[in-house]
Amino acid sequence: MTAIIEGTGLTKRFGTGEATVLAVDAVDVQIEESELVMIMGDSGCGKTTLISLLGCILTPDDGELRIDGEAIDPVSEDLSVIRREKIGFVFQLFHLLPYLTALENVMVAMDIAKTNTREAESRAIELLTQVGLVDRLHHRPAQLSGGEKQRVSFARALANRPKIIFADEPTANLDSRQSDNLMHLIQELRREYQTTIAIVTHHEGLKANADRVIQMKDGRILNT
Amino acid sequence: MKTLFLKDMRYRQARVVLTALGITVLISLILLLGGIMNGMRIQARQYVESTGADVWISAEGSGGAFIGFSMVVEEYMAFLNSAPGLTADSASPLVFAQARPTVRGKSTKAIVVGYKLGQLGGPKQAVDGRMFTRSNFEDYRPEDPVPYEVVVDEKMGLEIGEQITLGNEKVRVVGKAKSLMFVLDTPLLFMDVRIAQKLLLGNTPHVNMMIAKASKNEQPVRAAADLDALETIEARTLKQTLGDIIAYYVDEPMKAVQFLRVMLWLAAGILVGMITYVTMLEKTQEIGVLKAIGAANSYVMGLLLKQVVLISGVGVILGLILAYIFAAAAPIFVAIHLVESIIVACISFIVCCGSGYMAARKAITVDPMIAFRGEI
Repeated sequence: MTAIIEGTGLTKRFGTGEATVLAVDAVDVQIEESELVMIMGDSGCGKTTLISLLGCILTPDDGELRIDGEAIDPVSEDLSVIRREKIGFVFQLFHLLPYLTALENVMVAMDIAKTNTREAESRAIELLTQVGLVDRLHHRPAQLSGGEKQRVSFARALANRPKIIFADEPTANLDSRQSDNLMHLIQELRREYQTTIAIVTHHEGLKANADRVIQMKDGRILNT
Repeated sequence: MKTLFLKDMRYRQARVVLTALGITVLISLILLLGGIMNGMRIQARQYVESTGADVWISAEGSGGAFIGFSMVVEEYMAFLNSAPGLTADSASPLVFAQARPTVRGKSTKAIVVGYKLGQLGGPKQAVDGRMFTRSNFEDYRPEDPVPYEVVVDEKMGLEIGEQITLGNEKVRVVGKAKSLMFVLDTPLLFMDVRIAQKLLLGNTPHVNMMIAKASKNEQPVRAAADLDALETIEARTLKQTLGDIIAYYVDEPMKAVQFLRVMLWLAAGILVGMITYVTMLEKTQEIGVLKAIGAANSYVMGLLLKQVVLISGVGVILGLILAYIFAAAAPIFVAIHLVESIIVACISFIVCCGSGYMAARKAITVDPMIAFRGEI
């Protein structure tokens, strides 16, 4: 198997002076292509920071990162290209744009990638149908349940056919039935698109779905 | 999605409307304050310019025809009518005094202008009715009883034949003059100089000033300087008189307003800047989301700037419209200059867009993760 993500010595600190917190401490991590990895650990152990570093939405203070074989220079490089072409993100709090409908929230990711509007609309409908929201296309986030919002968020993450999807606590705001449904959906999507998936969770019950579990504590990886 | 920025604005319409209204009110206030001062300047000039006089003569030590207390004996008329540098027989006596006539039972402000009909100092014709009856003699004589008649400003709304009370006397309105309001919409009441002397100057053979035309081959400044050299009078040119009158009636009393205007400019600049800056900063979470899903900085910046430009543009245009509406409805004369409006509009627009740009720039330069956690 080929490593699609390779992080070496990734380090991230927050705050200054005595208030500095070492969120991720010289972490080496590899994720293989089509792998489903769960990153687990207690609250505040650095899981979200780590996937934010790997997903190029947070700049590391130190360390090196390679995505799909390419070395990433977060300081000088325009990371927006990598974010829209290779990465899909699912956030714990969904982060859907409140003024757009479910359909438009998925389409906006393709609009950013300059996909033709008609093509974007048809793919967005296809994805929302796949996640079971065909009857919710024109609903705004405020009109959707937590589970529905999370599924829109997944559809948006898949919109530009990314190689990797990072999901930060995707089941944190869902009940157990919604969590099971979501995991089932993730497995289905993974089978269909062969996408690499990294999920941050503290939900022990989800472990069974993973190819591998990365356990974190105090900003470091304990075992993989 | 070309309308993304509009969808966002529609979603936050209350915020958008309040921001645009904030800009609107500030711009209209700045323009109105400027307009009030412009209006006062215009009104201060228009009567003085309308007289056609080149030289204004007042009592020595008065500081100018309209400034200090000035009483000049009429005997100077004979001297002025043959003075070198002045057009022969062009000198005219003038009473110019603030008064509180009672009009329809109400005490009101006005300025009485007493002059000799047909000479410099007031209108030659009425726009409605007739001019007042002219006194026959050059000086006051008991055998020349002049009727108490007045020609009022057409905007006073008085009818011909109506009577107003001035001092203890009833004065009959016989005509209306083309409106020439003095500072702060003070109407002018034109009457024969003898009546003005009787009603306002204790029936003495004094006037407040004399005005004359410079002779054709003499510069007014030279003619005024020659007269000014005399020990008992002061003489000023039209330009000097206008300068005195604007300084005395507008600039001095309006110093506080001028200061307020400068402060308002500063406050408006800061407030308008802050409104747009804060409005943009509040969008950092969305900026973070857009960046996290792959939006380039230029895409996000385009989205934000379209909003800033639209809100600022609407705010500025509404501010201009509101200022002109308020100016038309104001109880005093307000003159908003077009050039000033354009300058205010342009500066406000630049301040809005500049602060919006700064906020947007700050928001897009941070990592998406930091932006959508609102930690900037």
